[in-house]
Amino acid sequence: MATSSGSEPGPSREGEENKEKDERMFECNICLDTARDAVVSMCGHLFCWPCLHQWLDTRPNRQVCPVCKAVISKDKVIPLYGRGSGKQEDPRNKVPPRPPGHRTEPENTNGFPGFGFGDGGFQMSFGIGAFPFSFFTSSFNFGEPRPNPAPVGTPQFGEEQFLSRVFLYIACVFILWLLLA
Amino acid sequence: MASPSQKRLQRELKLMQSEPPPGMTVDHEEAMQDLTRWIINVEGAPGTLYEGEHFQLQFKFGSRYPFDSPQVMFTGQNIPIHPHVYSNGHICLSILTDDWSPALSVQAVCLSIVSMLSSCKEKKRPLDNTFYIKTCHKNPKKTKWWYHDDEV
Ligand SMILES: [Zn+2]
Ligand SMILES: [Zn+2]
Repeated sequence: MATSSGSEPGPSREGEENKEKDERMFECNICLDTARDAVVSMCGHLFCWPCLHQWLDTRPNRQVCPVCKAVISKDKVIPLYGRGSGKQEDPRNKVPPRPPGHRTEPENTNGFPGFGFGDGGFQMSFGIGAFPFSFFTSSFNFGEPRPNPAPVGTPQFGEEQFLSRVFLYIACVFILWLLLA
Repeated sequence: MASPSQKRLQRELKLMQSEPPPGMTVDHEEAMQDLTRWIINVEGAPGTLYEGEHFQLQFKFGSRYPFDSPQVMFTGQNIPIHPHVYSNGHICLSILTDDWSPALSVQAVCLSIVSMLSSCKEKKRPLDNTFYIKTCHKNPKKTKWWYHDDEV
Protein backbone atom coordinates (compact mmCIF):
# COMPACT_ATOMS: atom_id res chain seq x y z
CA MET A 1 0.00 0.00 0.00
CA ALA A 2 1.39 3.34 -0.97
CA THR A 3 1.09 5.91 1.74
CA SER A 4 1.91 9.56 1.59
CA SER A 5 4.67 9.33 4.17
CA GLY A 6 7.86 11.24 3.59
CA SER A 7 9.99 8.12 3.25
CA GLU A 8 8.33 7.15 -0.01
CA PRO A 9 10.84 6.98 -2.83
CA GLY A 10 10.67 10.12 -4.87
CA PRO A 11 10.04 10.08 -8.58
CA SER A 12 13.72 10.51 -9.37
CA ARG A 13 14.69 7.40 -7.43
CA GLU A 14 11.87 5.43 -8.95
CA GLY A 15 13.02 6.49 -12.37
CA GLU A 16 16.51 5.34 -11.57
CA GLU A 17 15.22 1.98 -10.42
CA ASN A 18 13.22 1.59 -13.58
CA LYS A 19 16.24 2.47 -15.62
CA GLU A 20 18.23 -0.15 -13.80
CA LYS A 21 15.48 -2.68 -14.46
CA ASP A 22 15.47 -1.75 -18.12
CA GLU A 23 19.18 -2.27 -18.28
CA ARG A 24 18.92 -5.66 -16.64
CA MET A 25 16.41 -6.67 -19.28
CA PHE A 26 19.22 -6.56 -21.82
CA GLU A 27 21.89 -8.21 -19.75
CA CYS A 28 23.54 -11.32 -21.03
CA ASN A 29 22.51 -14.34 -18.97
CA ILE A 30 26.11 -15.45 -18.75
CA CYS A 31 28.34 -12.46 -18.07
CA LEU A 32 25.55 -10.37 -16.50
CA ASP A 33 26.73 -7.39 -18.52
CA THR A 34 24.84 -5.61 -21.26
CA ALA A 35 24.79 -8.13 -24.09
CA ARG A 36 27.25 -7.33 -26.86
CA ASP A 37 26.91 -8.99 -30.26
CA ALA A 38 23.61 -10.07 -28.81
CA VAL A 39 21.87 -13.23 -29.86
CA VAL A 40 18.65 -14.73 -28.63
CA SER A 41 17.92 -18.44 -28.46
CA MET A 42 14.75 -20.05 -29.77
CA CYS A 43 13.58 -20.27 -26.17
CA GLY A 44 13.94 -16.49 -25.93
CA HIS A 45 17.01 -16.10 -23.76
CA LEU A 46 19.49 -13.35 -24.41
CA PHE A 47 23.26 -13.78 -24.52
CA CYS A 48 26.39 -12.19 -25.91
CA TRP A 49 27.42 -14.28 -28.86
CA PRO A 50 30.96 -14.76 -27.48
CA CYS A 51 29.53 -15.91 -24.14
CA LEU A 52 27.07 -18.36 -25.66
CA HIS A 53 29.67 -19.65 -28.07
CA GLN A 54 32.06 -20.36 -25.24
CA TRP A 55 29.36 -22.20 -23.32
CA LEU A 56 28.44 -24.34 -26.32
CA ASP A 57 32.12 -25.16 -26.73
CA THR A 58 32.40 -26.08 -23.06
CA ARG A 59 29.89 -28.90 -23.40
CA PRO A 60 29.79 -29.84 -27.06
CA ASN A 61 27.79 -33.00 -26.49
CA ARG A 62 25.17 -31.43 -24.27
CA GLN A 63 24.16 -28.13 -25.77
CA VAL A 64 21.40 -26.66 -23.66
CA CYS A 65 20.22 -23.18 -22.86
CA PRO A 66 21.96 -22.04 -19.66
CA VAL A 67 18.71 -20.57 -18.39
CA CYS A 68 15.96 -23.05 -19.24
CA LYS A 69 17.90 -26.15 -20.41
CA ALA A 70 16.12 -26.23 -23.76
CA VAL A 71 18.20 -27.76 -26.53
CA ILE A 72 20.00 -25.06 -28.48
CA SER A 73 22.51 -24.98 -31.30
CA LYS A 74 24.72 -22.43 -32.96
CA ASP A 75 22.63 -22.17 -36.08
CA LYS A 76 19.39 -21.77 -34.20
CA VAL A 77 20.08 -18.47 -32.51
CA ILE A 78 18.86 -15.15 -33.80
CA PRO A 79 21.17 -12.14 -33.81
CA LEU A 80 19.72 -8.91 -32.50
CA TYR A 81 20.61 -5.71 -34.27
CA GLY A 82 19.84 -2.61 -32.26
CA ARG A 83 20.32 0.84 -33.63
CA GLY A 84 23.61 1.36 -31.86
CA SER A 85 25.15 -1.95 -32.80
CA GLY A 86 27.07 -0.73 -35.81
CA LYS A 87 30.57 -1.02 -34.45
CA GLN A 88 31.84 -4.05 -32.67
CA GLU A 89 34.18 -3.71 -29.76
CA ASP A 90 36.78 -6.33 -29.17
CA PRO A 91 35.75 -8.84 -31.83
CA ARG A 92 37.55 -11.96 -30.71
CA ASN A 93 39.23 -13.65 -33.58
CA LYS A 94 38.60 -16.99 -31.95
CA VAL A 95 34.88 -16.55 -32.03
CA PRO A 96 33.25 -17.09 -35.41
CA PRO A 97 31.06 -14.29 -36.68
CA ARG A 98 27.56 -14.31 -35.42
CA PRO A 99 25.29 -16.55 -37.47
CA PRO A 100 23.32 -14.53 -39.99
CA GLY A 101 19.65 -13.79 -39.52
CA HIS A 102 17.27 -15.93 -41.52
CA ARG A 103 15.18 -13.98 -43.96
CA THR A 104 12.29 -15.39 -45.91
CA GLU A 105 11.56 -13.49 -49.09
CA PRO A 106 7.93 -12.72 -49.75
CA GLU A 107 6.57 -14.99 -52.50
CA ASN A 108 6.70 -13.70 -56.02
CA THR A 109 3.10 -13.21 -57.12
CA ASN A 110 3.34 -11.72 -60.61
CA GLY A 111 3.41 -13.79 -63.80
CA PHE A 112 2.49 -17.44 -64.37
CA PRO A 113 5.10 -19.79 -63.15
CA GLY A 114 6.45 -21.95 -65.91
CA PHE A 115 5.29 -19.86 -68.82
CA GLY A 116 8.32 -17.77 -69.50
CA PHE A 117 11.68 -18.47 -71.01
CA GLY A 118 14.75 -18.99 -68.93
CA ASP A 119 13.96 -20.56 -65.58
CA GLY A 120 10.28 -20.89 -66.27
CA GLY A 121 10.85 -22.68 -69.56
CA PHE A 122 12.78 -25.38 -67.84
CA GLN A 123 9.94 -26.02 -65.41
CA MET A 124 7.45 -26.28 -68.23
CA SER A 125 9.45 -28.78 -70.24
CA PHE A 126 9.96 -30.90 -67.20
CA GLY A 127 6.22 -31.00 -66.65
CA ILE A 128 5.59 -32.17 -70.19
CA GLY A 129 8.49 -34.58 -70.09
CA ALA A 130 7.03 -36.33 -67.11
CA PHE A 131 3.68 -36.72 -68.78
CA PRO A 132 4.27 -39.89 -70.84
CA PHE A 133 5.43 -41.68 -67.76
CA SER A 134 2.18 -41.27 -65.90
CA PHE A 135 0.24 -41.90 -69.11
CA PHE A 136 1.94 -45.23 -69.76
CA THR A 137 1.77 -46.51 -66.23
CA SER A 138 -1.90 -45.79 -65.96
CA SER A 139 -2.61 -47.49 -69.28
CA PHE A 140 -0.69 -50.55 -68.20
CA ASN A 141 -2.69 -50.85 -65.04
CA PHE A 142 -6.07 -50.64 -66.69
CA GLY A 143 -7.74 -48.50 -64.10
CA GLU A 144 -6.70 -50.60 -61.14
CA PRO A 145 -5.29 -48.68 -58.22
CA ARG A 146 -1.57 -48.47 -58.64
CA PRO A 147 -0.04 -51.54 -56.95
CA ASN A 148 2.90 -51.36 -54.62
CA PRO A 149 6.27 -51.45 -56.35
CA ALA A 150 7.37 -54.99 -57.06
CA PRO A 151 9.82 -56.53 -54.61
CA VAL A 152 13.48 -56.24 -55.46
CA GLY A 153 14.82 -59.12 -57.51
CA THR A 154 11.61 -60.24 -59.22
CA PRO A 155 11.38 -59.94 -62.99
CA GLN A 156 8.62 -57.40 -62.55
CA PHE A 157 10.95 -55.22 -60.51
CA GLY A 158 13.51 -55.30 -63.30
CA GLU A 159 10.88 -54.44 -65.82
CA GLU A 160 9.68 -51.51 -63.80
CA GLN A 161 13.21 -50.28 -63.35
CA PHE A 162 13.79 -50.56 -67.06
CA LEU A 163 10.59 -48.76 -67.94
CA SER A 164 11.21 -45.90 -65.58
CA ARG A 165 14.71 -45.54 -66.96
CA VAL A 166 13.33 -45.44 -70.50
CA PHE A 167 10.87 -42.76 -69.54
CA LEU A 168 13.60 -40.82 -67.84
CA TYR A 169 15.57 -40.87 -71.10
CA ILE A 170 12.52 -39.80 -73.02
CA ALA A 171 12.00 -36.96 -70.60
CA CYS A 172 15.61 -35.88 -70.95
CA VAL A 173 15.44 -35.96 -74.73
CA PHE A 174 12.25 -33.97 -74.57
CA ILE A 175 13.83 -31.33 -72.37
CA LEU A 176 16.83 -31.12 -74.68
CA TRP A 177 14.58 -30.81 -77.65
CA LEU A 178 12.63 -28.01 -75.99
CA LEU A 179 15.77 -26.17 -75.06
CA LEU A 180 17.28 -26.45 -78.50
CA ALA A 181 14.11 -25.72 -80.45
CA MET B 1 41.62 -4.59 -16.85
CA ALA B 2 39.44 -7.10 -15.13
CA SER B 3 38.92 -10.38 -16.92
CA PRO B 4 35.35 -11.28 -17.87
CA SER B 5 35.12 -13.66 -14.94
CA GLN B 6 36.35 -11.01 -12.50
CA LYS B 7 33.88 -8.54 -13.87
CA ARG B 8 31.08 -10.97 -13.32
CA LEU B 9 32.29 -11.75 -9.80
CA GLN B 10 32.32 -8.08 -8.93
CA ARG B 11 28.74 -7.77 -10.14
CA GLU B 12 27.70 -10.81 -8.18
CA LEU B 13 29.37 -9.54 -5.04
CA LYS B 14 27.40 -6.32 -5.35
CA LEU B 15 24.19 -8.28 -5.82
CA MET B 16 24.94 -10.50 -2.83
CA GLN B 17 25.21 -7.38 -0.73
CA SER B 18 22.18 -5.60 -2.07
CA GLU B 19 19.89 -8.63 -2.36
CA PRO B 20 21.31 -11.41 -0.19
CA PRO B 21 19.44 -14.70 0.05
CA PRO B 22 17.53 -14.98 3.36
CA GLY B 23 19.80 -15.62 6.32
CA MET B 24 23.01 -15.24 4.34
CA THR B 25 25.72 -12.63 4.42
CA VAL B 26 28.87 -12.53 2.38
CA ASP B 27 32.12 -11.61 4.08
CA HIS B 28 32.71 -8.60 1.91
CA GLU B 29 36.18 -7.67 3.11
CA GLU B 30 37.55 -11.12 2.55
CA ALA B 31 36.00 -11.27 -0.90
CA MET B 32 37.47 -7.90 -1.80
CA GLN B 33 40.94 -9.10 -0.86
CA ASP B 34 40.65 -12.17 -3.03
CA LEU B 35 37.76 -12.12 -5.45
CA THR B 36 38.18 -15.83 -6.16
CA ARG B 37 37.45 -16.96 -2.60
CA TRP B 38 34.30 -15.98 -0.74
CA ILE B 39 33.07 -16.88 2.70
CA ILE B 40 29.32 -16.76 3.20
CA ASN B 41 27.80 -16.90 6.66
CA VAL B 42 24.63 -18.95 6.81
CA GLU B 43 22.02 -18.82 9.52
CA GLY B 44 19.85 -21.87 10.02
CA ALA B 45 16.41 -20.83 8.83
CA PRO B 46 13.74 -20.43 11.47
CA GLY B 47 11.28 -23.31 11.58
CA THR B 48 13.80 -25.83 10.22
CA LEU B 49 15.98 -28.41 11.95
CA TYR B 50 18.87 -25.97 11.73
CA GLU B 51 17.23 -23.03 13.46
CA GLY B 52 19.71 -21.12 15.57
CA GLU B 53 22.77 -22.80 14.03
CA HIS B 54 25.46 -20.97 12.13
CA PHE B 55 27.42 -22.32 9.21
CA GLN B 56 30.00 -21.06 6.79
CA LEU B 57 30.07 -21.72 3.09
CA GLN B 58 33.21 -21.34 1.06
CA PHE B 59 33.07 -20.51 -2.63
CA LYS B 60 36.16 -20.78 -4.81
CA PHE B 61 36.05 -19.54 -8.38
CA GLY B 62 38.39 -20.74 -11.10
CA SER B 63 39.47 -18.64 -14.06
CA ARG B 64 36.85 -20.32 -16.21
CA TYR B 65 33.99 -19.20 -14.03
CA PRO B 66 31.08 -18.92 -14.92
CA PHE B 67 31.55 -21.58 -17.59
CA ASP B 68 32.98 -23.81 -14.93
CA SER B 69 31.11 -24.26 -11.67
CA PRO B 70 32.52 -22.78 -8.47
CA GLN B 71 33.92 -25.07 -5.81
CA VAL B 72 31.43 -24.89 -2.96
CA MET B 73 31.66 -26.52 0.45
CA PHE B 74 30.86 -25.96 4.08
CA THR B 75 33.81 -24.89 6.15
CA GLY B 76 34.56 -23.84 9.71
CA GLN B 77 33.64 -25.42 13.03
CA ASN B 78 30.04 -26.32 12.42
CA ILE B 79 29.25 -28.52 9.42
CA PRO B 80 25.50 -29.12 9.11
CA ILE B 81 24.42 -32.69 9.74
CA HIS B 82 22.48 -33.49 6.61
CA PRO B 83 22.13 -36.58 4.39
CA HIS B 84 23.82 -34.73 1.50
CA VAL B 85 26.58 -33.01 3.45
CA TYR B 86 29.70 -34.96 4.36
CA SER B 87 31.47 -34.24 7.62
CA ASN B 88 34.38 -32.66 5.72
CA GLY B 89 31.99 -30.05 4.30
CA HIS B 90 31.55 -31.53 0.84
CA ILE B 91 28.03 -31.14 -0.53
CA CYS B 92 26.33 -33.56 -2.86
CA LEU B 93 24.33 -31.18 -5.04
CA SER B 94 24.03 -31.71 -8.78
CA ILE B 95 24.11 -28.03 -9.78
CA LEU B 96 27.63 -27.85 -8.37
CA THR B 97 28.91 -30.20 -11.06
CA ASP B 98 26.85 -31.91 -13.75
CA ASP B 99 23.90 -29.55 -13.75
CA TRP B 100 25.89 -26.37 -13.47
CA SER B 101 24.95 -23.64 -15.92
CA PRO B 102 26.62 -20.25 -16.40
CA ALA B 103 23.23 -18.64 -15.87
CA LEU B 104 23.37 -19.80 -12.27
CA SER B 105 25.01 -17.54 -9.73
CA VAL B 106 26.29 -17.49 -6.18
CA GLN B 107 22.82 -16.39 -5.19
CA ALA B 108 21.19 -19.31 -6.98
CA VAL B 109 23.61 -21.79 -5.42
CA CYS B 110 22.98 -20.31 -1.98
CA LEU B 111 19.24 -20.55 -2.42
CA SER B 112 19.59 -24.15 -3.50
CA ILE B 113 21.63 -24.96 -0.41
CA VAL B 114 19.14 -23.17 1.85
CA SER B 115 16.28 -25.15 0.38
CA MET B 116 18.29 -28.35 0.68
CA LEU B 117 18.78 -27.67 4.39
CA SER B 118 15.21 -26.52 4.92
CA SER B 119 13.66 -29.64 3.43
CA CYS B 120 15.64 -31.94 5.71
CA LYS B 121 13.46 -34.11 7.94
CA GLU B 122 16.09 -36.03 9.83
CA LYS B 123 19.57 -34.88 10.80
CA LYS B 124 21.99 -37.57 9.74
CA ARG B 125 25.20 -37.90 7.77
CA PRO B 126 25.30 -39.56 4.37
CA LEU B 127 25.47 -43.35 4.62
CA ASP B 128 28.90 -43.49 3.02
CA ASN B 129 30.33 -40.64 5.06
CA THR B 130 33.15 -42.54 6.77
CA PHE B 131 34.33 -44.11 3.57
CA TYR B 132 33.99 -40.95 1.53
CA ILE B 133 35.96 -38.60 3.78
CA LYS B 134 38.82 -41.11 3.89
CA THR B 135 39.04 -41.50 0.15
CA CYS B 136 37.90 -38.23 -1.40
CA HIS B 137 39.97 -35.52 -3.02
CA LYS B 138 40.27 -32.20 -1.22
CA ASN B 139 38.36 -30.55 -4.03
CA PRO B 140 34.73 -31.73 -4.05
CA LYS B 141 34.59 -31.07 -7.78
CA LYS B 142 36.98 -33.97 -8.29
CA THR B 143 34.39 -36.33 -6.87
CA LYS B 144 32.36 -38.29 -9.35
CA TRP B 145 29.11 -37.80 -7.51
CA TRP B 146 26.43 -40.35 -7.60
CA TYR B 147 23.49 -38.09 -6.92
CA HIS B 148 21.11 -39.14 -4.24
CA ASP B 149 17.49 -38.92 -5.17
CA ASP B 150 15.89 -35.67 -4.32
CA GLU B 151 13.84 -36.80 -1.37
CA VAL B 152 15.76 -35.92 1.74
ZN1 LIG C 1 27.76 -12.11 -22.09
ZN1 LIG D 1 16.26 -20.80 -22.72
